[in-house]
Amino acid sequence: MRSGIEKYSMKKIVGIADMEVCNDWKTGLITYSLGSCIGVAIYDPVAQVGGLLHYMLPESQIDPQKAQKNPFMFADTGIPLLFKEAYRFGAAKNRIIVKVAGGSQILDDTGFFNIGKRNYMALRKILWKNNILIKAEDIGGQVSRTVRLDLATGKVWLKYSGEVEKEL
Amino acid sequence: MSFVETIIETCSQLPPFPAVINRALNLMNDPNSSVQEIVETIQYDQAITANVLRVCNSAYFGLRQSVGSLQEAVIFLGFSQLIEILLSGVSGSMMGKAVSGYDLEAGELWKHSVSSALLSQIISRRIKREQNPMLFTAALIHDIGKVLLNAYVKEQSETIKDLVKTKGVSFLQAEKDVLGIDHAELSAHIIEQWNFPQKIIQAIRYHHTPLLATSDQEAVYQIYLSDLIAILTGIGGGVDGLSYSGFEQVMHHYKLNEKDIERFMAQLGDQIQKVEAMIQVQ
Repeated sequence: MRSGIEKYSMKKIVGIADMEVCNDWKTGLITYSLGSCIGVAIYDPVAQVGGLLHYMLPESQIDPQKAQKNPFMFADTGIPLLFKEAYRFGAAKNRIIVKVAGGSQILDDTGFFNIGKRNYMALRKILWKNNILIKAEDIGGQVSRTVRLDLATGKVWLKYSGEVEKEL
Repeated sequence: MSFVETIIETCSQLPPFPAVINRALNLMNDPNSSVQEIVETIQYDQAITANVLRVCNSAYFGLRQSVGSLQEAVIFLGFSQLIEILLSGVSGSMMGKAVSGYDLEAGELWKHSVSSALLSQIISRRIKREQNPMLFTAALIHDIGKVLLNAYVKEQSETIKDLVKTKGVSFLQAEKDVLGIDHAELSAHIIEQWNFPQKIIQAIRYHHTPLLATSDQEAVYQIYLSDLIAILTGIGGGVDGLSYSGFEQVMHHYKLNEKDIERFMAQLGDQIQKVEAMIQVQ
């Protein structure tokens, strides 16, 4: 069994190009295998609403059809939906805490393969335009990451492959 | 016997590649063979047939009526999809277990392999406008060496990780420096033993170091890209993470740019459910 998830009565796995939003405090949201992808965890401590998005790519214009089919694949279509869904569950924008992780890079990166960096830039741009600050982040490097959001506490836990989990 | 020879010696512990699949692959490469001949070759293997039918009837393929024979599977899915399912089942039996030295849970290496294989077809369609079963096979088994190197990587895990962290070398280089052999080379040894075509052996040997290949560059480059994009996507990512090198020369060779990489990733993203369907564990 994966570390850290057994204590929840409910565990929801967020897949690649996928999102979950929930207001059940007994639940843990978890996403595995973040490479160049980015995991965005948001939490409103008053409403106890939390959401987790695992997006793959910065901009939907690369393939609008796929964005329509699955908006969670892209930062520019997925991030707004993550917030909208949290608002629907009673979260308020001024209370939402944002933590992000992922955006890894391969070695000797020449620009062709730097999806991780482009994913992070897209995130920064969208949040900045909407006056939303990032409370904590763990971005870049060559690691594979697992991120989980504990709805009871709002704590975000980060695990590098092959290492122990730590709080973000 | 040297340490490296001891590691290579472990290749003989692996079961042989299923003869039935080898025959089917040979028939596929023979322009004079018919679909009927290939179906006849594999239909007597019950385990393989059962696996193909289970995947075929999974929700992903959304067939309106359930498929009961290989014959029907070919009609409903087409030949190339049938082969994809057939081969993915074989890779699962060899790579489905946890590979703890690389911090991979059961099914994760298999998922990475199937993702790379699907990417090989996405890439081949883009640059050669064709499907390529040879590349599918090569992408599917390119990391088989990890299964055997696992125990040794686990033993030296701290030393290898430390080398990657402090010296900034690739995980592959760290394997080579610490163990004397890396997983790509070991994969090639295994596949040589299975008498696979030279092209596949080359593609697998150089799947992290494409510029070193002195022959079969096309196959080498395409497998390199398939694996690299699967690594970027993160599917089945382990302790080695993204610690591998990017070579822009390969991109220039095919006149590809960063947007192409994004499109490849989006197409794979669209097929994640297919990956899940293909690795349905028995």
